[in-house]
Amino acid sequence: MKPALRHPPLFKKEPPMQDTALTASKAVSLPWSRRLLRMAFPYLLIAPTLILVFIFTLYPAANAVIDSLYSIPRSAREAPVFVGLGNYADLFTPDHFIGATFTLVIGNTLFFAVTSVLFSVPLSLGFALLLNQRMPLLGVWRFGIFYPALLPLIGAASIWAFLFSDTVGLINTVLRSLGGTTVNWLGDPNLVLISVTIVNIWKQAGYYMIFYLAGLQNIPRELYEAAALDGAHGWGMFSSITLPLLRRTSLFVLVVNFIFAFQTVEQLQALGQGNPGDRGTLLLYLIFKTIPERRNWGYVNAMTVILVLLLLTFTIANFFLFERGREDADA
Amino acid sequence: MRNTGDTAGRGTWLLTGAAAIIWMLPLIFAVLVSFRPQAEPVSIGNIFFGSRITLDNYAAAWNIAPWGWHYVNSILFVVGVLAVQIVTVTMAGYAFARLRFAGRGLLLVLILLQLMIPTAALLAQNFATIRTLGLYDTRWALMMPYWGSAFGVLLMRQTFRGVPLEFEEAARIDGANWWQIMRSVYIPLALPAYIAFALVSISSHWNEFLWPFIVTRTEEVRPLTVGLNKLYSTTELGALYGQLMAGTLMVIAPLVVLFMLFQRRFLESFASSGLK
Amino acid sequence: MRTSRLFVLIASLALLTVLSLSAAAQSEPIVIDFYYPSAIGDNVATIMDRYVAQFEEANPGIDINPVYAGSYTQTRDTIQTELNGGGAGPDVAVMLSTDLLSFIEEGHILPVQSYIDAGDDPAAWVGDFFPALLLNSYDADGALWSVPFQRSTPILYYNADMLAEAGYAEAPKNRDELLEIAQALTLPNGERWGLLVPFAGGFPIWMFQSFAIASGRNIVGDTFTDVYLSDPAVVSAAEFSRALGTEYGVGPVGGSVWGDTPTAFIAGQAAMIYHTTGSLTRILNEAPFQVGVGYLPSGPAGADGTGYGAPTGGGNLYIFNPVGQERSQEELDAAWQWVTFLSSPEVQADWGAATGYVAARVSAWDLDPLKSLAAEKPQYGVARDQLAFASREFTSYRAIDTQNIINTTLSAIISGAEPDAAAALASAQEQIDALLAEYK
Repeated sequence: MKPALRHPPLFKKEPPMQDTALTASKAVSLPWSRRLLRMAFPYLLIAPTLILVFIFTLYPAANAVIDSLYSIPRSAREAPVFVGLGNYADLFTPDHFIGATFTLVIGNTLFFAVTSVLFSVPLSLGFALLLNQRMPLLGVWRFGIFYPALLPLIGAASIWAFLFSDTVGLINTVLRSLGGTTVNWLGDPNLVLISVTIVNIWKQAGYYMIFYLAGLQNIPRELYEAAALDGAHGWGMFSSITLPLLRRTSLFVLVVNFIFAFQTVEQLQALGQGNPGDRGTLLLYLIFKTIPERRNWGYVNAMTVILVLLLLTFTIANFFLFERGREDADA
Repeated sequence: MRNTGDTAGRGTWLLTGAAAIIWMLPLIFAVLVSFRPQAEPVSIGNIFFGSRITLDNYAAAWNIAPWGWHYVNSILFVVGVLAVQIVTVTMAGYAFARLRFAGRGLLLVLILLQLMIPTAALLAQNFATIRTLGLYDTRWALMMPYWGSAFGVLLMRQTFRGVPLEFEEAARIDGANWWQIMRSVYIPLALPAYIAFALVSISSHWNEFLWPFIVTRTEEVRPLTVGLNKLYSTTELGALYGQLMAGTLMVIAPLVVLFMLFQRRFLESFASSGLK
Repeated sequence: MRTSRLFVLIASLALLTVLSLSAAAQSEPIVIDFYYPSAIGDNVATIMDRYVAQFEEANPGIDINPVYAGSYTQTRDTIQTELNGGGAGPDVAVMLSTDLLSFIEEGHILPVQSYIDAGDDPAAWVGDFFPALLLNSYDADGALWSVPFQRSTPILYYNADMLAEAGYAEAPKNRDELLEIAQALTLPNGERWGLLVPFAGGFPIWMFQSFAIASGRNIVGDTFTDVYLSDPAVVSAAEFSRALGTEYGVGPVGGSVWGDTPTAFIAGQAAMIYHTTGSLTRILNEAPFQVGVGYLPSGPAGADGTGYGAPTGGGNLYIFNPVGQERSQEELDAAWQWVTFLSSPEVQADWGAATGYVAARVSAWDLDPLKSLAAEKPQYGVARDQLAFASREFTSYRAIDTQNIINTTLSAIISGAEPDAAAALASAQEQIDALLAEYK
């Protein structure tokens, strides 16, 4: 069956949530078993995802939170010692071996994440707007922007390691042949983080473009036609129609982009390995460097907890800002 | 601003092409380097081509791993993940977008935690789970942790919320049940999002390394990234960029084809969804 | 239809199970899971499969299951994850020689001293290894735990044609000559470097050890708690390492990237490089010029041998017997058989010639194919002869952490991010002393 699809009136407020999936009016007369099923229905829909997330994320993560309160003694045969928030305190102690780098690395990671988001979100929206029009070679241009997302992290990083290489690299070879001064992209302590961020923006912009392209498909043409009749054009149309109707996509892109900036780490293996002097180290890379020593697991878990709290705050704040005052936002 | 189906002006076309070509420069040089003799880095001789064009890098890269098996495993891996994900994210995405129930916000946050928690700290525990299930060194072990996708649930929630509620109500008046509503209203309208999700899910799992590497040890069940890793970890010899690029291109070739097929849907889906 | 297909499936599965069980009951071979990392481009798996076939033919009843386990780091992480997740881990693995103490502390490995002592001639068996390659195999009590397998050491590579053109007939022997030649052969703006030392990246410690030893003080002592970072000789070595880029300008500031160094050398963009013996085969194959190989030049400590010197590196064989996952005596014996085979002179001679690693056995150099290779290409012998001056590679208790501290500090100093070398090293020394206090 196919219902008659009519477009709703323009700019109508979104209707309130329903109480259940099916019409509430019939519910009263239903037998209790059906009503129970109806109440359970949302939970049944969520259950598969929730169970998988519980097994592979929530349960081990809960253990990690507990383990972050313990310190592991020298001998493998002794039980861990409860130290309360001692591991967390060490992370912020400047002359402690892990505290010496932790605050630097948090700063690096925030710079990396914020800069990545600031550049790749507008870029991905811009690319999507450009590539949402009919034009010759459209598929090639779309591929040209998106392909970095297809590359394995280590492959993408290797390409950039080759571009950045001081001696045999492409960029410096071009600079030399033009008579310019070469740049030590990964070896200069003041440059390494910027180089790593450039790679991330290059890799991510096409990825998020896909979601904007998908979002643009759902904006009805009629809206633009109607607005054109009202004399709107160019920037006016963009700011009054496109941008507001991409609101949900933007929330998604912003949140996911920020979170992923904290999670991508393999590329550092090819791009300076966090050095010189930890100026290029990101939080997850620090975790990778620390985790092989069994006795650091308290620190690793504490760092993980801090990372998650940071991301959780950011995510919830964004949901609050984007969905506040909207009727579909009553969570 | 223009919308789907508009034809771009010449200025826009030039701008788009220039941006895309700049973005493609790393790829173009990766291709060039893969056909260059290993002993001739770009700093020597012509910057575009070496003294001759060679397939040696591809031959060397091909010989380093059982790529046939790796391709089979990567395909099974991404298809096995995506098939289950489509079902789980549709169900949960709809529930979070359109249903009201106790604990909705909290449950969404719990699921979203999956995005935020770095897997590094959970590897040993997840390995233990897979071992308890008796799945160590099987293809199931690769897939299982990815069957639930917070990313997909969030994307579908955001997409389903954009579907006008009138459509669902109209369908229900016609007597449609939940599955019929999904099939006739939500899924067709969310098709672009599904395509985007499929692209992203396939490419990210195609490129997943650490987990597949840890839960397998037989080369015949390992995916492409393990083969690529062999090329990457040639630390004693130094960076063999030609082989690395050749290997990387070999690994992403199927994805390139897939993308060229999928990307068309971003112009056509709107027309085919019945909205005119 | 469906039922019958299901039945066929179940029946054939059952049949398979019965067959495999009965097959197992017949012979019951001992299976040794062998994890090895690979750091070379050739298809190591093919070489490894050859050794497995040879061994299994000579030892019926033992099956070797070779598992490619990535880089050294990945191999270690995989083993850790498996053991911590309740898995069995490997029976034998090739791991960095510097991982020894971590694995002892975690209770994962078995000392092989008792096996050696039970052998025909323990002294001869041990004595046939180059002594420098055993320096990272003993624990604090003098028991031997790990057996050398794929070992390497840094050496000096030089472009003999380039040096001859500039009027230098021989490789530099000391730091003054090194600097003189490097400066003479450097062209401006990175067109050509006089000397590339791969300090850049995450692992400057290995190269730096050469300079520290040449300055008269290895950063590691005889026990696992002796770390000498604030020693004046070490500070001066760090300052010299930095000056190569900042002051003398013979290489990029902060040193070159490890992987790019041989490539730049082969392309003629560097007159001399410090690199591992592991890249010798590639460089000899690809360089279109006469490749010279020499000892790392001596430092201020003198050319009498004390100023020469390099650390050793690479991977050793470990037998696993993890706490809670103890193996049977038969399995341990079989594992030892496999370790003995891989470290035998015959396999070492073959492995060294095939890969470029320094064959760890003295007698391996009298066997083909290594013997004829070294005769044909004398460069291979230089690395072996330099072993006479080689010292211990850095390790200590909590080696992961102490290495991280030292690597970060060194790269900060050498790249110029940290101008005060003495202060930075002193602060690193303090952090390390705090970590090792409980072991002293």
